Amino acid sequence: MNYLFHILILIFIYIIISVSLNLISGYAGLISVAHAAFYGIGAYVVALLALNIGSGFIVNMICGMLLAGILGAIIAIPSLRIHDDYFVIATFGFQIIVFSILNNWVTLTKGPLGIPGIPQPIILGISISSHVQFLIFTGFFALLTFLFARRLVNSPFGRVLKAIREDEIFAEALGKNVTKYKILVFVIGASMAAVAGSLYAWYITFIDPTSFTVQESIFMLSIVIIGGTGNLWGSVLGAALLITIPEALRFLGMPSAIAANTRQILYGTLLVIFMLYRPQGLLGEFAFRRK
Amino acid sequence: MLLQILVNSLIIGSIYGLVALGFGLIYGTTRFFHFAHGAVYTCGAYLTFLFTVWFKFPLFFSLVLSIILTSFLGILIEVGIYRPLRKREATSLVLLIASLGIFIVIQNIVSLVFGDDTKTLRSGVVKEGINIFGARITPIQIAIILVSLGLFVITSLILAKTKTGKTIRAVANDPELAIIHGIDTNKVILYTFGIGSALAAIAAILISFDVDMVPSMGFFALMMGVVAVIIGGVGSIPGAALGGLLLGLAQNLGVWKIHSKWQDAIAFGILLLFLLFRPYGFFGKKVKKVQI
Repeated sequence: MNYLFHILILIFIYIIISVSLNLISGYAGLISVAHAAFYGIGAYVVALLALNIGSGFIVNMICGMLLAGILGAIIAIPSLRIHDDYFVIATFGFQIIVFSILNNWVTLTKGPLGIPGIPQPIILGISISSHVQFLIFTGFFALLTFLFARRLVNSPFGRVLKAIREDEIFAEALGKNVTKYKILVFVIGASMAAVAGSLYAWYITFIDPTSFTVQESIFMLSIVIIGGTGNLWGSVLGAALLITIPEALRFLGMPSAIAANTRQILYGTLLVIFMLYRPQGLLGEFAFRRK
Repeated sequence: MLLQILVNSLIIGSIYGLVALGFGLIYGTTRFFHFAHGAVYTCGAYLTFLFTVWFKFPLFFSLVLSIILTSFLGILIEVGIYRPLRKREATSLVLLIASLGIFIVIQNIVSLVFGDDTKTLRSGVVKEGINIFGARITPIQIAIILVSLGLFVITSLILAKTKTGKTIRAVANDPELAIIHGIDTNKVILYTFGIGSALAAIAAILISFDVDMVPSMGFFALMMGVVAVIIGGVGSIPGAALGGLLLGLAQNLGVWKIHSKWQDAIAFGILLLFLLFRPYGFFGKKVKKVQI
């Protein structure tokens, strides 16, 4: 039973990730391979503040969101001058620099050894530690993120994002400040990813840089693309599918060393197949086509 | 010390330059980031390992076979996946996502077959390098520099003098005009994939004689190649070479002054600065904001 809860908790965390990345890539049309970096920043800020300063979990999470948000704004700035493929390279660069800091700034982050013993949040004197408690806790945040994102994409803000994605020059001609919207969507998406990172750090209680690699970022992008770009339910479906299917491999009796590779081969193949036959993903409405 | 840094920069810069050259050729005719080029590079090294260490083929034969097969792999990716995508009028972002998928699949197949531990092509003990004015350089490192230099000259000559080279430049310059002139763009793109992948294979084989190989080697080589192309300017052969050398120099100076563990961060810091202030590189043409 706990195993089932574990999978559900992971799905909830990944729903927050994919919904937030969908805002950036699916709604605003900015492909980003830096999402694991923001996710990692959330996790590391929560862990380091709790262990070094001992501040409360809500304060820690907000600090993580702020840092991720500020860095999100910084990574969005190159998008003023560069487009599409070049922007992807810029996000790659950012992701690798963040990973390099997590891995190499040993005095701060303990490097590859990781940070064990992250304190779990305490609400009204109850420590959130069992699987059931975490299920409710992460479910609450996933729901909150989803409702916030839905509100956002149905608002005038969301419509401007879609306009930018379909035709940037046209949006600009209508008097929309394209730059401002791009930076804002990155700030929002990055801080949401930091929330997911905090939840992960509290749930696992141990973090190390290997959870926040480029491969992880590509995996997150695959969830959004396979689920459906520009559709929030698509992100929920994508997270559920791409977390569950590899678990099914384990039931087929595949050794875990091979399963890790098979998982990646699986979603790599899915990416190619979807690009060939259904570039908008399962439930998506946007297929990275401008013409 | 400074001379040693220059020598080391020249060695690693040659490898980056070769990857950048192949990647740049492909980018020139297709206008999208072919990330799977990194996986093609990895295959070059592992195929050589497979033939020399597992199958015990003669060295020269294995090298030629690996380069041909790797070149064929690049062509296979183009014909099997990119060409159908182009037929569906996919945008460069769709092609880029597909190439990320291909990259992940190939890298993980290599990792499944050969394992994640480091493999080496070197046999016997590491020889002490030759001493040139206080800088040490091994014979294989000299080979890296000479082969890279030779390949740069040959590729430049192919592009400048032969008919194939001219059609490649025509397609890179203006694909629509090339079609009007009766140039078969699909065929030209095929040539660039063949040549580019062969260059990647040679770079990978050279570096695996000098240091070791791991399945993830292609990713960083590719990223460095991309950075070199962007620094040098897209579509410029001297740009790719200069970009590779500058990147090698910056990294080696960083290793000397700071620490080797920061070399990725240094390379990508340079990349971000370039993207911010000079996205078209040293020799490239200005990038238009949106092509209409």
